[in-house]
Amino acid sequence: MIDREWGDIFSGFAGEQGDLIPILQRVQEKAGYITKGAIEAISQFLKISENQIFGVASFYSQFRFTEPGRNSIKVCMGTACHVRGGQILGDVLERELAISAGQTTEDKRFDLQRVACLGCCALAPVIQINDDIYSRMTVIRLKEVLEKYE
Amino acid sequence: MSKRSKTVKITMDNKVLQVKRKLTILQAAECNGIYIPTLCAHEALTPFGGCRMCIVEVEGMRGFPTACTTPVEEGMVIRTHTAQVQNERREILQLILSEHTSSCLICGQKDECREYMGTIRKAGVITGCRYCPNDGQCELQDVVEYLGLKEIDYPIYYRQLRVEKEDPFYDRDYNLCILCGRCIRMCQEIRMADVLAFKQRGRQTVIGPAYNRTHWQAGCEFCGACVSVCPTGALSEKARKWEGKAEREEVTTCSLCGVGCQVRLLIKGEKVIGSLPAEDPLVNDGQLCVKGRFCVTELVNNHRRLRKPYRTQNGAELQISWEQAIELAAKKLSDCPAERFGLLVSPNCTNEDLYVAQKFARVVMGSVNIDTTARKFYGPGFNAYLNLMRMSVPLADLSKASLILCVGLDTRFGRSVVGVQLRKAIGRGAKVITINPRNNNLTMIAEKWLQPAPDEMVHLLRSLVKLTEKKGRRTMMSASRRKRGDLADELSQVAEMLGEACSPVILVGSEFLQRRESPQILEAIGKLARNTCAGVLPLPAQSNLYGSVLMGAYPELLPGGFSSTDKGRADDLSERWSADIPTFPSRRSAEALLWGRKLKVLYLIGVVPPNREPHSDFTIFQNIYPSGSPGQADLVLPAAAFTETDGTSINGEGRIQRVRKAVHPPGEALPDWEILCRIARKLGKKGFDFGNVRQIHKEISRFVAGFGNFAKPRRKASPLLIEGELRVVRRKSAGKKRADKKPPFMMNVSTVEHIYRGFPLTDWVEGARMLFAEETVDVSPEDAKKLGISTGDEVVVSWEHFQKSLLARIVSGQQRGMLYATLRNGEFIEPNPHPVIMRKKDV
Ligand code: SF4
Ligand code: SF4
Ligand code: SF4
Ligand code: FES
Ligand code: FES
Repeated sequence: MIDREWGDIFSGFAGEQGDLIPILQRVQEKAGYITKGAIEAISQFLKISENQIFGVASFYSQFRFTEPGRNSIKVCMGTACHVRGGQILGDVLERELAISAGQTTEDKRFDLQRVACLGCCALAPVIQINDDIYSRMTVIRLKEVLEKYE
Repeated sequence: MSKRSKTVKITMDNKVLQVKRKLTILQAAECNGIYIPTLCAHEALTPFGGCRMCIVEVEGMRGFPTACTTPVEEGMVIRTHTAQVQNERREILQLILSEHTSSCLICGQKDECREYMGTIRKAGVITGCRYCPNDGQCELQDVVEYLGLKEIDYPIYYRQLRVEKEDPFYDRDYNLCILCGRCIRMCQEIRMADVLAFKQRGRQTVIGPAYNRTHWQAGCEFCGACVSVCPTGALSEKARKWEGKAEREEVTTCSLCGVGCQVRLLIKGEKVIGSLPAEDPLVNDGQLCVKGRFCVTELVNNHRRLRKPYRTQNGAELQISWEQAIELAAKKLSDCPAERFGLLVSPNCTNEDLYVAQKFARVVMGSVNIDTTARKFYGPGFNAYLNLMRMSVPLADLSKASLILCVGLDTRFGRSVVGVQLRKAIGRGAKVITINPRNNNLTMIAEKWLQPAPDEMVHLLRSLVKLTEKKGRRTMMSASRRKRGDLADELSQVAEMLGEACSPVILVGSEFLQRRESPQILEAIGKLARNTCAGVLPLPAQSNLYGSVLMGAYPELLPGGFSSTDKGRADDLSERWSADIPTFPSRRSAEALLWGRKLKVLYLIGVVPPNREPHSDFTIFQNIYPSGSPGQADLVLPAAAFTETDGTSINGEGRIQRVRKAVHPPGEALPDWEILCRIARKLGKKGFDFGNVRQIHKEISRFVAGFGNFAKPRRKASPLLIEGELRVVRRKSAGKKRADKKPPFMMNVSTVEHIYRGFPLTDWVEGARMLFAEETVDVSPEDAKKLGISTGDEVVVSWEHFQKSLLARIVSGQQRGMLYATLRNGEFIEPNPHPVIMRKKDV
């Protein structure tokens, strides 16, 4: 009953519960995110309910459940950034893009994530778009930064 | 080994205690009456150690270990409520409460408010600030009280989560949730339904199914087990939300199916406000299905309950007194010749009601026309079904079986307590095989799912019978393998598994019972069981089918299950009852008696006639609700529901169990036996002066083995041991095959089985409408796509002489070209399956 599409993703796994995380990682690598179909297939393969798989997967911030956008924005919510208004940046971005963290805009231009410390606390608050780091970010600069990405 | 190895000596709060070795500190404290506050621990669940409310001081251990997860050790010195511990607890509790609506916990006016609501400003004057349905029965309140917490030093953070009300029976307000994880552990460890999980993490943590699915979409069985263990008001029963605390409880037997679970009815005043599982290891072991857990209260409390007798005249309802009603009934009955009288009774009635009913027909009316609605439900397979009941094994045998074969069984909503046992068995290493044309909750957990087309069911079972026959097994296997490829392979594997299994059990559901070949299917199951030395357990939908047979509520059967053609028995009975009782003519079919011709008086007890011309000149309708269509009843008598009457009932395993009266029936309603006795006495008949149920029970014990102790009936499982047989009409195969037109679809029809006293539960229980299919037709996704149908669309199915519109439901895993219709009453069942065409209804 398991789709052929998922066949090679499961290859090499014995179907034990401990295989869940590595399988999820493989799915994410291949599809870019954890699709509903993948969760269904994993559920049948490992005989774990979809609900539990989702619970486990959503615990780890490395897994995402929506198709990634062409550009991905990460807003730092680490301690230093928080103190210097990272929260506000996040809120403004959500409003600007009309999505909440973890989602992708309808035109697939951006996806947005809140992440823990990006490792450059001295430059807080920080956002990252694709591989570019923007330090000492302000709400006013956000708009012009976004415009650089298509 | 010495005694020392089993117990250890500890010191708790300066008391020296000798406790069992395997206990946790918390358990040791509870055994010795020492209170330790807890929030996430629950006796039925594994320790979680999440709330840290149970911290204690242990000499020599660093920090404060949690009592619920730390095992006792020899010589441990424990202090449960030092000032430091209490302070720490208060601190932790404040943290928990900083994310919890807390007006009911720390309001300065709390106590005064309870009395006279002096400071009410913005809340309703009647209710006060009731944000939480758990008020007054909340474990969080208890702990706050114990720790004497008066204020919270942390900023309050309201999570602003939407209250989830979209599922039937219970609401979820996760703003009140303290993330104790009890609901998750209940759903995973005990129910093994795996609907709930922690999602996200940190501050975002919420509980629920995958994505934003509703519980219904996520496979929830609505067993309510999670609601029962929630310490807060986060999970709350819709119907019981604001009912408050129960005043008393009564343990009784659920009468909504043949499993016969023990339930605890919660009672307030003269109202049953809730039902919870009783901790009874024999049948349901602390679990219930959605019917027993949530449907009982709504079923018995609906405002449309019959309260007074009335008669109908020219379409008008005329309220009359019991006196007048009994008189009218007596008059009509005394004018009625024996062969033109009919009495139909519900197999949901107690033994005592059924016994009095058949005695009424035989003694008062001198008639053999007594029957139950089970005859229609089982149709031609009725006798074959009883034959399986003669071989039945107790449900507890599932725990010994290494292999369980389920035939036509679905345990998602009805019988979900059996589903729990199945999953437990799997956890123990047993294998489950399910044979079912339809995809349901068992296919996911089963080792193998054999999915025959509905009309291949017989063939498949017969092949299994052949394959498991001792002689010639090998040759059969290879022969069929050559012929049918995959399925045959599977079959021989299953046969092999059955052959090698130790004490296998076959569970029989009811999904194929209305099919034409149900007798053949049932017979094949019997043979298969004999071949493989398997136990069989049919799981009847009717709560007291077993009792209806033993009480003799059929023309062919006398009390004790003796054949009514047996002259000796009938004479013996005549003598004991001091009345002439009729013998059943040996060649007649029982069906023709009631359903065939027009009667003068038809007496319906817990039976709702299908929507068509009444069968009789005068119909007495005795039930808890009015019949759907007025004009079907000439005299309406209000009866008691199972929560309002005493008696006994026999479940599918053959356990005689008590039904206990929890409250008085509404208005002037009376138990069935009492109404029957009153009419009989009015007609001057002897042998009906029973003053209570106990006396009836005593009389039954003269005819039926196992009866006698009313207060404590024999609750031992036993197969149905009767001599008599039911006579059923075997229908010949469908007759001429219409080969000229190849039908695009085959429609399989089944009747709803969630019925109490003739009424589908959906009539009176709002939430049930979402769960139980009625007047629907299930379509495979491929067919639906082709015809442009989506779930909820109205479709028309038709073939030559009939046409019917039904609601479509799209069901994955269903074969193409197959339709499954569920009807309220099984009209046009013949032949089943039926060839049909289907189209979307034009709008
Ligand atoms: S009602 Fe039962 S199946 Fe549904 S979530 Fe609660 S425990 Fe699980
Ligand atoms: S919903 Fe209730 S049982 Fe479940 S985690 Fe929250 S408080 Fe605990
Ligand atoms: S399984 Fe049957 S007896 Fe048990 S609660 Fe459900 S309806 Fe009642
Ligand atoms: S806190 Fe934002 S980069 Fe470390
Ligand atoms: S009760 Fe022990 S940690 Fe919650």
